[in-house]
Amino acid sequence: MGGKCPHRKVKKRRLSHKTARRGKFLVKADDAVYDELVKLADAGKDADATQLPVDEDLPGMGQFYCLHCDRYFASESVKEEHYRSKRHKKRIKQMSGPAPHTQLDAELAAGMGMPDNGLKLMSM
Amino acid sequence: MRLEKCWFCSSTVYPGHGIQFVRNDAKIFRFCRSKCHKNFKMKRNPRKVKWTKAYRCLHGKDMTQDSTFEFERKRNRPERYDRNVTEQTLKAISLITKIRHERQKKHITERQKQGKTKQRERDAKELEQDIQMLPKKVTLSTQKTKVVVKVSQQQTEENLMEE
Repeated sequence: MGGKCPHRKVKKRRLSHKTARRGKFLVKADDAVYDELVKLADAGKDADATQLPVDEDLPGMGQFYCLHCDRYFASESVKEEHYRSKRHKKRIKQMSGPAPHTQLDAELAAGMGMPDNGLKLMSM
Repeated sequence: MRLEKCWFCSSTVYPGHGIQFVRNDAKIFRFCRSKCHKNFKMKRNPRKVKWTKAYRCLHGKDMTQDSTFEFERKRNRPERYDRNVTEQTLKAISLITKIRHERQKKHITERQKQGKTKQRERDAKELEQDIQMLPKKVTLSTQKTKVVVKVSQQQTEENLMEE
């Protein structure tokens, strides 16, 4: 399977190759990636320093992972090659920009105050 | 039933309206109309679309901070029921809404004043620069009025004001 399907006439739906399907369902969304980056920054770590679980179903046993682009690579050299690509640099620029839009932003813009979480409960 | 806000345009989603998308990390996106849903599927950023509330707040076109906003919050801790407090709250709702609308209107009026001032300055400058382009008949008529005006100074001021 790959390339364009000759039977379908609507341009968007003719694409059936890996990149199109991956971008539609499998890739982690911007705000999820942003949250993970913020979490790592709070912990004082770098994206490359985290220990990744071993998974035989993933390329390279899941050890060569790019968090910004949410992709796994087969080896260190391939990952280094990816870090020099334009797409990766674009993603880094996006992630270093302002925080993505959230439901909280929508509510604040609509004229609601910050959520009221009440008093902090006693720890048991 | 609870009234939610649209993820994209921040307007209110009433029960029985709109659509809701639950992503597989359990994050919920609510939309008031298919317009907002389609914009979301096209991956548009609400902060860059001019008709959304997020854009308007970010660019100072709508009121962003006011004490009346504190009355409308998502309360994640239930309150104990009290009949008197409930009655007072129901009475206060219409008053708070009225105050809020008036303040929003005032904010917009205040914001548009600068534009009107600049427009007036622009008009005055244009008149000063382009008065030479008027046809000669008008010039002659002004000269005639000047001749008449020499009789007394008060009339001169009145005519200038009229012009």
